[in-house]
Amino acid sequence: MFKAIVSAETLTSTLDSISVLVDECKIHLEEEGLEIRAVDPANVGMVDLSLDAAAFESYEADGGLIGVDLSRLEDIAGMAESGQLIQFELDEETRKLHIQIDGLEYTLALIDPDSIRQEPDIPDLDLPAEVVLEGKDLNRSVTAADMVSDHIALGVDETDEFFYVNAEGDTDDVHLELTRDDLIDLQVGPARSLFSLDYLKDMNKAIPSDTEVTLALGEEFPIKMYFGFAEGDGQVTYMLAPRIQSD
Amino acid sequence: MGNAALRDIAVIDDVPFEDIEGVVAVDAHNWLYRYLTTTVKWTSSGKYTTTDGTEVANLLGIVQGVPKFFENDIVPVMVFDGGPSELKSDEIESRREQRQTYEDQLEVAREEGDQVAIAQLESRTQRLTETIQETSRELFERLDVPVVEAPAEGEAQAAHMVRRGDADYVGSEDYDALLFGSPLTLRQLTSKGDPELMDLDATLAHHDLTLEQLIDAAILIGTDFNEGVRGIGPKTALKAIGEHGDMWSVLEARGESVEYGDRVRQLFREPNVTDDYEFETSLEPDIEAARAYVVDEWGVDADEVERGFERIEESAVQSGLDRWT
Repeated sequence: MFKAIVSAETLTSTLDSISVLVDECKIHLEEEGLEIRAVDPANVGMVDLSLDAAAFESYEADGGLIGVDLSRLEDIAGMAESGQLIQFELDEETRKLHIQIDGLEYTLALIDPDSIRQEPDIPDLDLPAEVVLEGKDLNRSVTAADMVSDHIALGVDETDEFFYVNAEGDTDDVHLELTRDDLIDLQVGPARSLFSLDYLKDMNKAIPSDTEVTLALGEEFPIKMYFGFAEGDGQVTYMLAPRIQSD
Repeated sequence: MGNAALRDIAVIDDVPFEDIEGVVAVDAHNWLYRYLTTTVKWTSSGKYTTTDGTEVANLLGIVQGVPKFFENDIVPVMVFDGGPSELKSDEIESRREQRQTYEDQLEVAREEGDQVAIAQLESRTQRLTETIQETSRELFERLDVPVVEAPAEGEAQAAHMVRRGDADYVGSEDYDALLFGSPLTLRQLTSKGDPELMDLDATLAHHDLTLEQLIDAAILIGTDFNEGVRGIGPKTALKAIGEHGDMWSVLEARGESVEYGDRVRQLFREPNVTDDYEFETSLEPDIEAARAYVVDEWGVDADEVERGFERIEESAVQSGLDRWT
């Protein structure tokens, strides 16, 4: 059983956070809310999302699992104007999702969850450094790095206590330092890892610029980025594997 | 270098570096030559000349050029030319003569202190000397970049390796790669922007030609190995081959001839290549040894190569998250 009403904005933010990594995903319809976990085909980027029941206008579910085509669902969400509500009801018999937007009725055929790539195990990471910053500062770093390189180094200087971003291209370089004053919070620890901008750029697209983002980092370790949406009733965690020196 | 008129025939698209994967069989002479011309143009000669006056700009070029492969998880295999094909010696001879002219002009430019002319001429007088041939191989060895010795044309050997499935692309500026049957050729590997991908099958399909017919058309236009027929450009050649089927029929219809036509054709159709090569694709460069070779042994300015070595050292491969689960 699944019946829910949600605002178009909340639905769009949810779908956008996932679709930067995968085309299809499984959605767990838990009593307390939705849960989605997905990893890209190369096993490099992962997303773990939860949307609490409180984020919905109304929500009823009892632990079902559905598979969806994200771009299809995004198109449907795009039919709603901002501020409009979207209503969902799952037909267990036909395995179809009935969607209503202001009189518009859409019946969405679901995908067999077994045909969707298995959900990833969440890596067990003990990351020593933590940086809390505004989404727009991360945005800016990624955009600047992308102008010169395909890769971006993120790290923490333990001595002078700042978070830094480095990108080196064939000819041009980008370097950015954010001190405690520029950051919302900083937990200093040994951290420096190199990441593919292809992935980081996509993830960054889903991070609103006015949101507080927490980055957890280590040395040649995956990065964990988490942020809230839907007024704190939704949480997204991205994990991205680093580029590492072959040895 | 090669037949630029083939550009009008070839199907070529830009391809981002990130989309390139696997092994690139690089026409080493062609690749080195590019770096020699740019290095010599923009770097003062003191930085790459030993105390006894030997120029080793190639070492600088290699240290600048190799990181790009490493950074994009691409394995370069450097294919060196063997002895020149007999037919090509004419062109080499005329290049040599031309170089002599450039060198005379360079003398004059130096006396007059004309910096622009000097820079232009210096870039043209570069050649792959014995020292350059040898030191390049030595440096590639330290960088763990595989080297393959071609019996004749490096390009033909590289194309052969791709056709056998041992490499994914030929790396060459030369449009002739197409005639040697290179299925996929990457151009502009040495440039700043995205490389170009030249696709043989797409080219043949686009013009409804066989490879043999493409070779015939190229011979009519002119290749490294023969003068073309006066008045035949890419358009005319394609049209004539389409009409008459092959080179001989075209020549007969026009009452023209191509000197050594048969042998040139043979050279592209059955180039002198070998299956006798092997290489590893997991590369482990010895940066310390490479740096010592370039800086200590050959006296290249350490600052000039530091960046390149750093880039190789830092070049990293994408890991998967499963490593941490």
